[in-house]
Amino acid sequence: MRVALAEDGALFRQGLVMLLEAAGHEVVAVVPGGDELVAALANDPVDVALLDIRMPPEPDGGLVTAERLRAAHPDMGLLFLSHYAESHYLVRILEIGTEKVGYRLKEKVGSVEVLSDTLSRIADGEIVIEPVLAKRLVERPRNDRKDVVATLSDRERDVLRLMAEGRSNGGIASELYVSGKAVEKHIASIFDKLGLHGDASVHHRRVLAVLTYLRSQRGEN
Amino acid sequence: MSDASDGRRRHRERWRRRVCLERQLHDGAALRISSMALRLGALDRAAPQRDIDALQDEVAAALEELRAVAGQIYPSLLLEAGLGPALRELVTARGADAAVHVTADRAEPAVEGAVYFALADVLEAAAGPLTISVRTERGPAPEEDVVVVVIEGADPALAPPVLDEAEPLGGTVTVEDGAETITARFPCA
Repeated sequence: MRVALAEDGALFRQGLVMLLEAAGHEVVAVVPGGDELVAALANDPVDVALLDIRMPPEPDGGLVTAERLRAAHPDMGLLFLSHYAESHYLVRILEIGTEKVGYRLKEKVGSVEVLSDTLSRIADGEIVIEPVLAKRLVERPRNDRKDVVATLSDRERDVLRLMAEGRSNGGIASELYVSGKAVEKHIASIFDKLGLHGDASVHHRRVLAVLTYLRSQRGEN
Repeated sequence: MSDASDGRRRHRERWRRRVCLERQLHDGAALRISSMALRLGALDRAAPQRDIDALQDEVAAALEELRAVAGQIYPSLLLEAGLGPALRELVTARGADAAVHVTADRAEPAVEGAVYFALADVLEAAAGPLTISVRTERGPAPEEDVVVVVIEGADPALAPPVLDEAEPLGGTVTVEDGAETITARFPCA
């Protein structure tokens, strides 16, 4: 696979290049910041770009860089690496895209197998999320989400599946030949059945709903 | 300059130092240890896989401990994204029964840090459901803005730890009689 890497820490950058090459990937660009990455890939996109979240342009250059890359090369996969696994960043990442994206802790991609698996799942179109974060988000207290997706109606499951594919409410409405209002009603009902109410913003709940769905698809509970 | 305002200035300076310490951990030790995880993974397969796995587990545990320490010094998310995201993350991570509403503007690290750690203490100690709101009260000039924190459903006994954080910045804490509502004011300069 052809990959590129932007990370401001020299030691970590070297370690990652070593591992990527050991895994047999072709590292076409290694740069210390986001602007350099955008420039390096302008005419030569890669399969997956690996980005540190906290790098220049400060404070979270990985995210603004990813937005620019996604706009310029919609088919290019994006893998965010960070010292912290935070739902705040996951939400921001899923705003950039819900296909071909990944968010993992830096130390958790430390083997040829894990790194290659993460990269190829992203290149195949999947969302790859650090397991500890997905677990924390889905296993909220006072909620037992076991088989909760099974309690949804067929139509609600269709809506949730399209949410998981990153469609907007308008996109879901036209896909299912229903009104925007109807979609909103289904989403409210999904949130309700998944126990997602109260303190979280609508966007946060949307992400949680999608994560619940993704986990149920993978047979995890 | 009066003694009181000089004291507040020095207190704010201490908060800035905490922000720098977290940054130092992140850019130094944490990055060095993370890169060890990758170097271990790239070792020649002549080394026994079980030894590599064990070392990587140690590395991951060391980073987990570093993250916990860094979070006690100054949460990176608080510096980068502000009180709203940082407090929501805290509530989620603790599994606390609390609703958080933040409309406050970004404030200097001292004020955001003081509010965050005061509420972390409250969340740690509180039993029942809490409603926490954080807003900015505009002053005549930006340096006279005040971040106002209202905690509903809180035992009045939780007021002293909140005051511990508010007072060094020149702030105040009031408890409404019988209403289980704590209101804390954190001046922005």
